[in-house]
Amino acid sequence: MRQLGELEAEIMHRLWAWGRPATARDVLTDINKQRPLAYSTVKTVADILHHKGMLERHKEGRAWVYEPTCTRQQYTAALMQQALGSNPDPAGTLVSFVERMTPDEADALRSALRAVKRRSEA
Amino acid sequence: MTTAAVLVGYAVVVGALVPSLLSRAAWAHRAPVLAVFAWQGLMVTFVFTATLAVYHLLLADHHVHGGLVGLLSACGLAVGAPWAGPVPSLPQALALATPAAIVLLPLGWLVACSWRARRARQRHLDLLTLVGDPTPEYGATVVDHTTPAVYCLPGRHCRVVITRGALDALSEEQLWAVLAHERAHIDGRHHLLHLLADAFSRAFPGLPLARHAKEQTALLVEMIADDRALRLHPRETLATAMCEVAAGRVPPVALGAGGAGALVRLRRVLTPQPRPHRATSLGVVAATVVAPLLPLVVACGP
Repeated sequence: MRQLGELEAEIMHRLWAWGRPATARDVLTDINKQRPLAYSTVKTVADILHHKGMLERHKEGRAWVYEPTCTRQQYTAALMQQALGSNPDPAGTLVSFVERMTPDEADALRSALRAVKRRSEA
Repeated sequence: MTTAAVLVGYAVVVGALVPSLLSRAAWAHRAPVLAVFAWQGLMVTFVFTATLAVYHLLLADHHVHGGLVGLLSACGLAVGAPWAGPVPSLPQALALATPAAIVLLPLGWLVACSWRARRARQRHLDLLTLVGDPTPEYGATVVDHTTPAVYCLPGRHCRVVITRGALDALSEEQLWAVLAHERAHIDGRHHLLHLLADAFSRAFPGLPLARHAKEQTALLVEMIADDRALRLHPRETLATAMCEVAAGRVPPVALGAGGAGALVRLRRVLTPQPRPHRATSLGVVAATVVAPLLPLVVACGP
């Protein structure tokens, strides 16, 4: 799988932030406020995102209008599912600070900490 | 046949007896680096021993030297090997193929597991590029999510990931302690240790050594990272951070145990324990180095 490019992320961020469908020209105009970029580059990457299923597009007049298929929250949820889900990815993929635990175990953790704090205060 | 019996006995000791002792050894949690080394040594020893044992069982009358050279020549690696015929007979081929399979099985799983892990990391990195905010201030990527979570994505494009929920739950100094812990995982390339143990446990499912090595490696690398974080941060800070992150991570429905390791770690972080005696450490290192060589001595001895 190819790595998701910075420009792909930039385009998605703008479309999410605007919350409305937009053309490649709209995105380009916004990016050009910060740095120069060719129209064809933005258009190509927008089409790549469309082929990946991340953007929907339809024609308005003569221009293609793009719109994200999923919200940012949905992607965040998918990310967190991978990171915290009960069915973790293969070993060596992610290393979590503390693993998921039962309420009893979390209570035991807290009382162990309290016990030590009391001892150090006494 | 005695050689084969000795080797089988040694394989049983290494594969079943020693793991249950090592996983309960008191010194292991006081010297996690040493303990990880010992587990790796046990896995290597088991592969060596099982290979030689099977070889001797199948081809009891041939001495192992001829067999090993024969194995190499069968693979086209050695010229002038004493294997007489150009084509080995079926029992001979079997006697070479079965031990070779014992070596190739974990190696094959290692390749498969690392490939799968790479792909999964790539998928995760793609999502992270999409929704994460790089925060150079912390050297981490922040994800806008309420559940407190901190983890690292190891490998070439390594990232430390922290959720908004964790940022809210942790104080500034707790956050730095947690980040030091995650950095230790990345700097120590701990995912490779996970990978080795995982490949071994898939190659030999049901073997006590495989189960223990996987569980203990996971716990021990956490302890190694805790120790690294404790070099720069106070004990109570790291311990409180563990509690804060753990408390927010509790699933609404209990999904079986899994957090027992966190409690062991917390107690260990809070109550400093002396490193094992120098003699113990030297003994463990010596045993780990000698253990894989013993089966060769048995197989090639007079």
